[in-house]
Amino acid sequence: MKRPLAAIVAAALVVVQAPPAHAYLKFGVTVGGQSITLKWTQTPVRYSVSSQGITDVPVADFQAAVDRAFATWQAVPTATISYQFAGITAAQPGRDDGLSTLGFQNRPDLDRVLASTSFLVDRVSGALVESDIFFNTAFQWSVAPAGATGRFDLESVALHEIGHMSGLGHSALGETELRDGGGRRVLAAEAVMFPIAFSAGSVAGRTLKADDITGITDLYPEAEFASTSGSVSGRVTKEGQPIFGAHIVAFDVARGTGVGGFTLTADGRFSIGSMTPGIYILRVEPIDDADVDSFFDEARNTDIDFRVVFVDRVVVVPKAGDTGEVPVAVVRK
Amino acid sequence: MKRSTLVAIGLCLLAVGFSRAAAAQTVPAAGPGRLEVSLGALWFGQLALGSNDANETTPTGGNLKIFSTSTDLGSVAGLEARVGVRLLQSLEAEAEASYGTPQLKVTITGDIENAPDVTATESVQQFTIGGGVVWYVPVHAASGRLVPFVSGGVGHLRQIHEERTSLETGLYYHVGGGVKWLLFARPRGLVNAMGLRVDARAVVRTKGVAFDDGGHASPAVGASAFVRF
Repeated sequence: MKRPLAAIVAAALVVVQAPPAHAYLKFGVTVGGQSITLKWTQTPVRYSVSSQGITDVPVADFQAAVDRAFATWQAVPTATISYQFAGITAAQPGRDDGLSTLGFQNRPDLDRVLASTSFLVDRVSGALVESDIFFNTAFQWSVAPAGATGRFDLESVALHEIGHMSGLGHSALGETELRDGGGRRVLAAEAVMFPIAFSAGSVAGRTLKADDITGITDLYPEAEFASTSGSVSGRVTKEGQPIFGAHIVAFDVARGTGVGGFTLTADGRFSIGSMTPGIYILRVEPIDDADVDSFFDEARNTDIDFRVVFVDRVVVVPKAGDTGEVPVAVVRK
Repeated sequence: MKRSTLVAIGLCLLAVGFSRAAAAQTVPAAGPGRLEVSLGALWFGQLALGSNDANETTPTGGNLKIFSTSTDLGSVAGLEARVGVRLLQSLEAEAEASYGTPQLKVTITGDIENAPDVTATESVQQFTIGGGVVWYVPVHAASGRLVPFVSGGVGHLRQIHEERTSLETGLYYHVGGGVKWLLFARPRGLVNAMGLRVDARAVVRTKGVAFDDGGHASPAVGASAFVRF
C-alpha cells in the first residue's frame, strides 16, 4: 500500500542570510491534529552518496567528508543515533525514492543557500521516511584538511545539514554583523546548527558544541544519561505579558558551555531538556539581529523589542528533574 | 589555600602567646573521661569556586567573549555544636556539627551586548558533621585559665540548593587552633568547668558546591561557650 507522504523543505545553511525556514530546536510535524517531534524511529539511518553533479571534489573525497560528519554526530556519547553508509548512487537528492541521499545540485537561483535538507514524512504515522541533502555547486567547495581559501568546507556544512537530517532545527548561539552589499556575516558561533555558515576557507564548523550535543541527546537520549540529566524551564514576560521567540541561553558556570532555547508557547514558556546537572545562569535576549525568519514562521508574533538581561538568581539544574519555573521579566528597548 | 592556612596558624600562635601571660592562676586539670559540650557561632570565609568566560568560536577557531562569570560561595555565620571527651589530660576527641546558609554568587560582567552586570545568587543550606581531636598545649593545660590548643578534624559536608532541587555532598578537613578561657572550674561536682572557646581554622572542602573534585580552602573562626562534665 502506498503511504501518503509529505515532502517538507525544512532547513538550509546559508552564506550570509537565511531565507524563510521552519526551524525550531527540534522539528515538528502535525499528524491527526497533534504535533509530534520529527525524528528517526529506526536506526541506523541509512544514507547514500550521489555521484551526480559533483564539480569541485572527487566522489570518494565527497563520501569521506560526509562519512566524517556522520561519524561526528554518531560519536556523541549521550545520544543513540547511528548512521550507515548504503553506497554510491546515481540518484539525486530531492527525489521521493525512499533513499536518503546526499549530493550536489546546481542551484544558482539559490544564491545564498549553501546546502539544504528536505524530509519525506509519512502523514499517517508521522514517521520520517527519507531525508535528502543537497549541496549547491553555485559555490566552490573543499575537502582539504585545513580548508582552502575561497572555498566552503564540505565537512562543516555536511555536519550542519546532518543535524537537520537528524531532526534538529537552528540554534541562535551566534553573533553576526551587517555586510557591505547586504546580508550578514558570522563573527562567531557556538553551535554547528547556527543558520549562517562561517566564511569560506574556515574549518571551525567541524566540531560539535554543547548546544548541538544537548539537542541531539534530547532527540535520541542514551538511557543512562536520560535518567540523570535535568532540565530548566521558565516563563518570559514583558510588562506582564508573555512573549514568543525570546532566546534563552543557559550557561554552565563550571564547564563554561552554553545551551540555547526559545519561548515557544503563547504564554511565554520555555524548556530546555537533556542538560547536564549543575549550576547555570540564564541570559535572555531577542533573536540576534532580527534574523527571525531563520527560526520561526513569519506568521508567529516573534518579539525582538526587548533588552538583553541576565536572570538575577542562580539556576541549579538537578539530576533527573526540572528547575521549576524560572520567571524572567524583560523590558522594552 | 596557603594564605588561609597561614592565617589559621598565625591566630593559633597568637593564642599560644596570649595564654603564656595568663597562665599564672591555677585551675583544676581536666582528667580523662571528662565530657565537654559546646555551642556557639561559626564563621566560614568566602570560597572562590572559579571563573569562566562564555565564548563563541570565530571562523578562525579563536574565541569571541560574550560575557564573563566569577562564582563564589559567600562567607557565612552559622551555628556550631561540639561534644568532646577527654582521652588524656592533653588530648580530647570531639564530634562536631554545624549549620549555615551561605549565598552562592555568580558575578556576571562584560556582556557583549551591554546587558547590565548582575550578581546572580541563591541561598544554600550547609550542614557539616564530623569529628576531630584537640591537643592542649601541655605546659598550660594544668595551670592556666587560658588554655591554648591546636585542633584538626574531618567530616561530611551536605549542601542543599535553595529550591531544594539538588543536594551536594562532600568532605571537609580543618586544622587550626585557639584558646579556651575557663570562667569557672572546680575539681568535684557534675559540672567540672565552664568557659568560652575561640578558635581559627583553615578549612579545606572537597566536592559539594564546587566546579571540580579538588580541595578548596577558606578560613573559619568559631566562638562558643562550653560546659565540661
